[in-house]
Amino acid sequence: MANIAIQRIKREFKEVIKSDEAQKCAINVELVGDDYRELRGEIAGPPDTPYEGATFQLEIKVPETYPFNPPKVKFVTKIWHPNISSVTGAICLDILKDQWAAAMTLRTVLLSLQALLAAAEPDDPQDAVVAKQFKENHSLFLQTAQYWSHVHAGVPKGNSEFAKKVRCLQDMGVGEHQALVALSSCNWDVDRAIEQLFS
Amino acid sequence: MTVVVLEEDSTITMATARAPTASDSTHSDNSSSNPSGGGAEGGGDDVPDNSNFECNICLDTAKDAVISMCGHLFCWPCLHQWLETRPNHQTCPVCKAAISRDKVIPLYGRGSGNQQDPRDKLPPRPSGQRTEPEPQGGFMPGLGLGEAGGFQFHFGIGAFPFGIFTTFNNWGGAAAVPPAPGTQQYQEERFLSQVLMAMGLLFLFWLIFV
Repeated sequence: MANIAIQRIKREFKEVIKSDEAQKCAINVELVGDDYRELRGEIAGPPDTPYEGATFQLEIKVPETYPFNPPKVKFVTKIWHPNISSVTGAICLDILKDQWAAAMTLRTVLLSLQALLAAAEPDDPQDAVVAKQFKENHSLFLQTAQYWSHVHAGVPKGNSEFAKKVRCLQDMGVGEHQALVALSSCNWDVDRAIEQLFS
Repeated sequence: MTVVVLEEDSTITMATARAPTASDSTHSDNSSSNPSGGGAEGGGDDVPDNSNFECNICLDTAKDAVISMCGHLFCWPCLHQWLETRPNHQTCPVCKAAISRDKVIPLYGRGSGNQQDPRDKLPPRPSGQRTEPEPQGGFMPGLGLGEAGGFQFHFGIGAFPFGIFTTFNNWGGAAAVPPAPGTQQYQEERFLSQVLMAMGLLFLFWLIFV
């Protein structure tokens, strides 16, 4: 990897570790391997959102041309959010694409992602199903996102009614995550979810 | 998506193209003594005092420092590579103000003996590109009317009788770029235009009086 990329990532790594946000456990980075090519990021779900209390793991890949091109970031932890694919974890955020600027760092990227969790942009969606629910049935979206945080991102409490519906599908031999996806995208209508799963 | 977290200490100024270009700035070119810029190089790990003079791209102490009109410091090699990465969309990496090669100012510290413009160093400075200005329109000074400059005489007759004289200007297709005054071609065209003008007037008289 180009020298400037390694130098910078090393500095940024220290910057994140020492930052105030890291002290408050809002963001964190860890090394994956020892060549600074790939990192594991972590952000806490922002307060007053359905992601509150959750911890999300991110995969950060540093390209050869860093910092002139953005790092490749995606969610490893499954999340229900209009701008993040519920299937792949791919993120739709302009600063990770054409609005990248060389002065941005790991720290600002992680904070931007945290801000994205608090302020979704349903008109520029990555996951159309989530965005549709966000716009048309916002309260259900909030409950769904909270339930995903419970199932995947370590939030202790979850909606018991949703849990019952998931278990109902699991009894039919459907995997837990598969059941969760089907129910979430069918607005928790069990009959429609079954239809979608078995057609 | 428009969620951006910028550095808190970076003032967001929207300084767009308004400054005099630095392209004609001159520098004493005594390329004799030590070529290294800015003393403490490499930037040790724990030197927080130096952070004000770190390049915003490589985060190291700026070498061959340049500063943008919006006040952000860079190594010239770093900034050059950034500008090369996005030739059509040159913005400041910190505040996204419009910047360009000619709108950055090289910084010369006392320690740096070599006062060469950093922009001249790494990528050889491109030579100036000069295009000839568009020639002033109008080569029809016929009958003393066109001497003022841009006057062009169009003469057209519709249906009657044969539509012989349409626009004079496009005669021979030579009207696109009028020849420079003083050349032989200019003289010829001037003569031609006067002949045509006379013919046109004669035709008018013929129409009216016959």
